[in-house]
Amino acid sequence: MKITITDVRKRYGDVVALDGPSFEIPSGSTFGVLGTNGAGKTTLFELLVGHHEPDAGRIEVGGLDVERAGHRVRERVAFLPEHAGFPSSMTGREVLSVHARIRGLADREARIDDALETVGLADAADRAVEGYSNGMERRLGLASALLAEPPVLVLDEPTAGLDPRGVATFHEIVERIDRETDATVVLSSHVLSEVERLCDTVAVLEDGELRTVGDVDELRAAGETVTVVLQSADDPARLLDAVQGWGEVVETTNAIEVTCERDAAFDLLSAIDSETIDRFEVREPGLEAAFRKALATETAAGDEPAAETEVDA
Amino acid sequence: MSDGSEPEAAAPAARTEPALRSDGGYETAANARESSTRRPTAVDGGRSGSWYRQLFVVAETEYRLAVRGRWAVALAAIFAAFALGLTTFSGASVGPEGFERTVASLAALAVYLVPLLALAFGYDVIVGREESGWLQTLFSLPIDRSWIVVGAAVGRAVVLASAAVIGFGIAGGFLLWEFGFAGFGTYVAFLLAAVGLALAFLAIGVLVSTVASEKTHALGTALLAWAWFVLVHDLLGLGVIAAFDLSETAVSVLLMANPTGIFRALVLGSLGAAGDAGFAAVLAETGVSSPILIGALIAWIVVPIALAAIAVRRRRV
Repeated sequence: MKITITDVRKRYGDVVALDGPSFEIPSGSTFGVLGTNGAGKTTLFELLVGHHEPDAGRIEVGGLDVERAGHRVRERVAFLPEHAGFPSSMTGREVLSVHARIRGLADREARIDDALETVGLADAADRAVEGYSNGMERRLGLASALLAEPPVLVLDEPTAGLDPRGVATFHEIVERIDRETDATVVLSSHVLSEVERLCDTVAVLEDGELRTVGDVDELRAAGETVTVVLQSADDPARLLDAVQGWGEVVETTNAIEVTCERDAAFDLLSAIDSETIDRFEVREPGLEAAFRKALATETAAGDEPAAETEVDA
Repeated sequence: MSDGSEPEAAAPAARTEPALRSDGGYETAANARESSTRRPTAVDGGRSGSWYRQLFVVAETEYRLAVRGRWAVALAAIFAAFALGLTTFSGASVGPEGFERTVASLAALAVYLVPLLALAFGYDVIVGREESGWLQTLFSLPIDRSWIVVGAAVGRAVVLASAAVIGFGIAGGFLLWEFGFAGFGTYVAFLLAAVGLALAFLAIGVLVSTVASEKTHALGTALLAWAWFVLVHDLLGLGVIAAFDLSETAVSVLLMANPTGIFRALVLGSLGAAGDAGFAAVLAETGVSSPILIGALIAWIVVPIALAAIAVRRRRV
């Protein structure tokens, strides 16, 4: 189910939460929304499920205008909010039962059992939520989103608070949905490696504006720099001198890392041909490089000093 | 709500579009094999539950939560202790007169206690759920926000009304045992009016809770509402009536602008104790009938909840 976002604007008082991003989320894709804190990711998701109305612009889910048909959209979209919570005295099973009954789902018990089993909460299903850890509550939220097996899943920082096992389970769930269904999954995350692993396409937001959008592989390949890692046991100081001027040089505990233009990497290797090199490695830029580049481009255009972006990668 | 056209429903499912099941779910390779045996079509032709079913689910959930949170027991115990205490101390004389005297005492003090308990019970019904994250979760489901508010109000209303009936009912049982059936009707009238008063202030609490952005703001506003309706309004109203030559209609409107005034008029007026009852005494002179008073009390229950149901549509979570 395709999602179309067209020039969406939203302000909260003086704060501009979204400033006209326009892009499409292809049907059946797993789409990542990246951005620093306050970039507008959560606002975008909340508009997408009709929590609020945009000041301007339009969001369509499967051809339905969210502003005009929010109820119908929420029938087709399962949303896991960033701060989803549940009454502490209810059991996990009861929480899912409320979801299933409000959605009018048939065969509720089987669906609930399936969802609990999928997120690994089957054993804790009849325990009160007050006895759950943060990660278990998050998994319960994920179970509630999976319950209706909707055409669109919108997950706002779904792995925040999950332990490594929970994160791995979540990755498996999303990969299974991607592999076995035509569902469209939209997720935000500060963990770029996670987005890189799960998503086909990403959009980068900053200050409510769209910085870039595109295929993950293309964005990754578009990185203009590579990092050459060199190690010399004989004379590391000499090697360090030799690489000066070829790019950004960082000396680590047992290696020297030179980040340079992709084309310059070959010249660098030729230039140090006479040095004794025990090991060398060329690292391709990851999504993080593309992310930082997207943000840095705009910062430079705005004549502002480059700032460290807060990414928990 | 008009949805306009629905392309993916009208057109045959293309390969790139999800294979939508009639219950709004997507078709997976696994469940396609299982669907014929394990998962029948969802109710309501693939739409979310009917509004009345959704309303019932929210009300039932709220009822359960209130009962588990010991609110039901606590409220019933407070009502019972209050009623039994007054019954013990004011029911010295035997006979219908003693019955009515007890009811008069109960009504005079219920005006303070019942609104306070109802507001304390209702002030967090929406804002409290938001702080726990449950409201965001409910808002993400295909249910009209208004039904969430109405359902929550209904669920809590059932708890509050039940607690009032049980709590005051226990004292009523003792009075019945002591005085017999003669005069018991006045106690029943008091009990029903007390339930009405409780629900009116619960409705005010729901409205406050829906409009407030934080739980502490809701608590403060609820306390101000209690002070206004229970303490200030009577004094100001009597002052205005004494200072100006108001028409009977104006006096009636002024007095019915306070649910506690209506409660007093309903209970004390029927006991012939209006002379001691502030606004009730004035109401008796205006000749406002019981049906009008009951209608006004019902309006005090319905209107705040209706306003809350509208206000919640604008609420930011």
